[in-house]
Amino acid sequence: MSENRFAAGFLVPGGLWLLLLFVVPLGILLAISFGTTDDLGNALYGWYPENYERVFDSIYIEVLARSVGYALATVALCALVGYPVAYYIAVFGGRWKNVLIALVVLPFFVNYLVRTYAWIAMLGDEGLVNGILGDDIQFLNTPWAVIGGLTYGYMAFMILPVYAALDRMDPALREAGKDLYGGPWQTFRNVTLPHTRQGLLAGTVLVFLPAVGDFVAAQLLGGPDEYMVGNLIQQQFLAADNWPFGAALTVVMMTFLLIWMVLYLRSAAREAREVAA
Amino acid sequence: MSSLAQADAPAAAPARRVAAKPPRDFDRPRFLRVFVGLFFVVMFAPIALVVLFSFNASRSLQNFDGFSLRWYERFFESETLRSSLLASIEIALITMVVATALGTLLAYGLVRARVRWSGAMNVLMLVPLVTPEIVAGTSALLLFTQVGLELSLTTIVLGHITFSISYVTVVVRARLAALDADVEHAAMDLGATRWKTFALITLPALWPAILAAGLLVFALSFDDFVLSFFTTGESPQPLPVRIWAAIRFGVTPTINAIGTFMLAISAVTIGLAIALPRLLGRRESGLGVLLGREGA
Amino acid sequence: MLRDIDDLLGRDLDRRIGRRGLLKGGAGLALGIGLAGCGVGSGNDASKEDTQKAIKKKVDGDLVYFNWAEYIDPALLKKFEKRYGVKVRESNFDSMPSMMAKLRAGIAYDVIFPSAEFAQRLIEGNQLLRIDRDKLANTDLVYTQFDQPWYDKGSAHTTPYTMYATGLGYRADKVSGMTGSWRDLGEADSGGKNFMLDDFQEGIGMANLVNGFELNTTDTDELAQSTDYLLDLKPKLRGLSSDTITSMTSGNAWIQHLWNGDIVNIRNQVDDPENYKFQKNEEGIPVGSDTFAIPVNAKHPGTALLFIEFMLEPDNAAQNVEWIGYPMPYEEGATEAFAGLVKTDPEINVTVEDLDNGQEFENLRAEGRVAWDKAWTEFKAS
Repeated sequence: MSENRFAAGFLVPGGLWLLLLFVVPLGILLAISFGTTDDLGNALYGWYPENYERVFDSIYIEVLARSVGYALATVALCALVGYPVAYYIAVFGGRWKNVLIALVVLPFFVNYLVRTYAWIAMLGDEGLVNGILGDDIQFLNTPWAVIGGLTYGYMAFMILPVYAALDRMDPALREAGKDLYGGPWQTFRNVTLPHTRQGLLAGTVLVFLPAVGDFVAAQLLGGPDEYMVGNLIQQQFLAADNWPFGAALTVVMMTFLLIWMVLYLRSAAREAREVAA
Repeated sequence: MSSLAQADAPAAAPARRVAAKPPRDFDRPRFLRVFVGLFFVVMFAPIALVVLFSFNASRSLQNFDGFSLRWYERFFESETLRSSLLASIEIALITMVVATALGTLLAYGLVRARVRWSGAMNVLMLVPLVTPEIVAGTSALLLFTQVGLELSLTTIVLGHITFSISYVTVVVRARLAALDADVEHAAMDLGATRWKTFALITLPALWPAILAAGLLVFALSFDDFVLSFFTTGESPQPLPVRIWAAIRFGVTPTINAIGTFMLAISAVTIGLAIALPRLLGRRESGLGVLLGREGA
Repeated sequence: MLRDIDDLLGRDLDRRIGRRGLLKGGAGLALGIGLAGCGVGSGNDASKEDTQKAIKKKVDGDLVYFNWAEYIDPALLKKFEKRYGVKVRESNFDSMPSMMAKLRAGIAYDVIFPSAEFAQRLIEGNQLLRIDRDKLANTDLVYTQFDQPWYDKGSAHTTPYTMYATGLGYRADKVSGMTGSWRDLGEADSGGKNFMLDDFQEGIGMANLVNGFELNTTDTDELAQSTDYLLDLKPKLRGLSSDTITSMTSGNAWIQHLWNGDIVNIRNQVDDPENYKFQKNEEGIPVGSDTFAIPVNAKHPGTALLFIEFMLEPDNAAQNVEWIGYPMPYEEGATEAFAGLVKTDPEINVTVEDLDNGQEFENLRAEGRVAWDKAWTEFKAS
């Protein structure tokens, strides 16, 4: 089918780029994961599969599980907060739609670190919030501080795709839905939500995947019990100077995430077809 | 509709893997409005702090001791910081353009093509999203050194583009999947070539997603530290690299000044994007034109 | 339609990914096995002779400078630029391993600032040019402890830049029960706001000192005991942070494991500096130093040499000390400047006695290093 071939041609530029500039480094990563380090901490190639044995030690699996947990919580929060915001802007924004979306994106043009440090200043034990509340509540160095930091950092990744999907939806569909289903909540469930599922899915992917490997939030806002796999990997490449072990951890983490992502995408794609058909 | 009566209905969401929450289709969305207002307050609270303390006369980050522009002077006097700023903007712009183009093409291919290898391409596209930055940085560094490519702004751009493509693809694909292919078929039935169809039918319909993706890529590239550090040559290093390195010694008001400055530039740019066409006589706003808003 | 997507993402995916994945992995492994024993990214194998090249002390181009950020007075860089008519092209790193990664990639810097252990590594790898001390003015002002430093025999490849001591910073107005011991980190009355340095050497080193062992011991039993000490300490810690300045200025930490220069910087930023004190501990004081070094592939080593000489001048050194807040180990200007900075709290200073009695972190070898890494990684993850 030449239409197919036409579309397939589109895959070439991006695919070629990724192949050359990404797959090859990935191969290097895989090779390093089987290597070892020399006396001075330099990484050497070789065949040392015990790196992988070490990864499956329960301590590290725990760290991975914790990271996935935090990332899931982050996705949930981003969706819970982000979807209504995107909805409001798309449906009720009117003339101000563009300004509002611009306002959503604007904070992200201030450097991530600078924003996070501002949060530390605000939520610190002697920071603004505690100053106003007059109380001594410990906000920082807790799991919720980390999740909050992650949510704040990735919020735009959820709002933008959801907004793009909502914005595309024909308002007539919602009107029809209201007539059909009666209440606004039912309309939402049966009409709006299914039509924006792809947007929500995109947002989920864009938040969840990077959040698992994030290291900044845990490093700056977390305590010793909030150690995430991103910090662990970072530590292996930097402090511990153990690239091979770090590479092995990375390979395991990436494989784990990809398997789940692919499974989820398959089921979601199937549902999306059902709606469209 | 008696939506007001349902105004206080409990927000019971069906438990799905991604929790659906209850935005309602109100005619007068009071609750939503408050919620969104609160959202913006929280989003901008740290920003407000950054801006405020960039004008602090003293070095303190706890007390505001009077208004002063000295930190901005420091920033503009420093040639290193200026060149870093320019470098970061340049990198982000190029990355935005190229990654958005490649990503959009990839998204189209993934959704419309049914070839044996598009499944694998799907997964390949996702992998960069899962890759920790430190790994991306060190493996990119290794690649460039093994190939003998000298580190410079070019290598940073190459690295950034590689890891931005996926973001574009995911965003654009979501919108594309919701588009009706029938419109494209109709156009072709009427005699348009595949290219014309793509350019005049598909692309305009995709504009909001492409724009959104582009903005995302710009912000990501502009903010990136780890990948940039490993792929940069010697001076000028991109701005976030300098900020990251400097911030260990405490946030100085100069850093806040840089942050505020960036915010101002972005606000002005976005503002122009919205206002300029209106000023030049067109009825819709800039984004409206770009969004291909049908008649509104 | 459904079936097509299923085919795409389901059947075909399993088959295709299987093959493609194996292909990718296979290529990677083949690469790895083929390169067995090769160093990753080791592009610069230099010989000893390369490092012995004599450097002519004259301007031979701009200065390509690679250092921690905020670790030199920018006014001094400008002064250097003016005096010699060159530009200083500054890059920053945020950790020693990051610096090493960039060096290994072959980037040609003119002057770098490795810590003592990393200077030793670089010297052993033949990566640093010889610096002829006799050619530089004012080297007689450098503390004699640095004439034959453990990391650089004969001080032939480096010149010391700064020195520092590790201790406990604390809020005198909030904390009570400080006894002058490392144990105060977990046991003083500090409302639970204790932070330890997020650094494997400083962490394990501290535990070693508390237990009365050598700072750098690699003895398995001793390491096990130290790891136990750390694991017991962990629940009492609110956090691990090398962001020492922010953690104290934000009020997050009332006791923070840190370096003496950090306290000086903290006091500069708060409204009540007299409440921020530094305690050197009786079980032992880790002492360290950062150095100037000229990489073997530097393109403008002459300018680099002039730069080092420039920084040794007493006035410049004094100015630098006052800006960075860390002591520099030179007599006269630098020493007086730092003493002036800490005159209300002289215990922040690193004295000559501290240098003589303090212990320095060594480069651990092979199994010793692996043992330390393992201990620390497990401590952090558990």
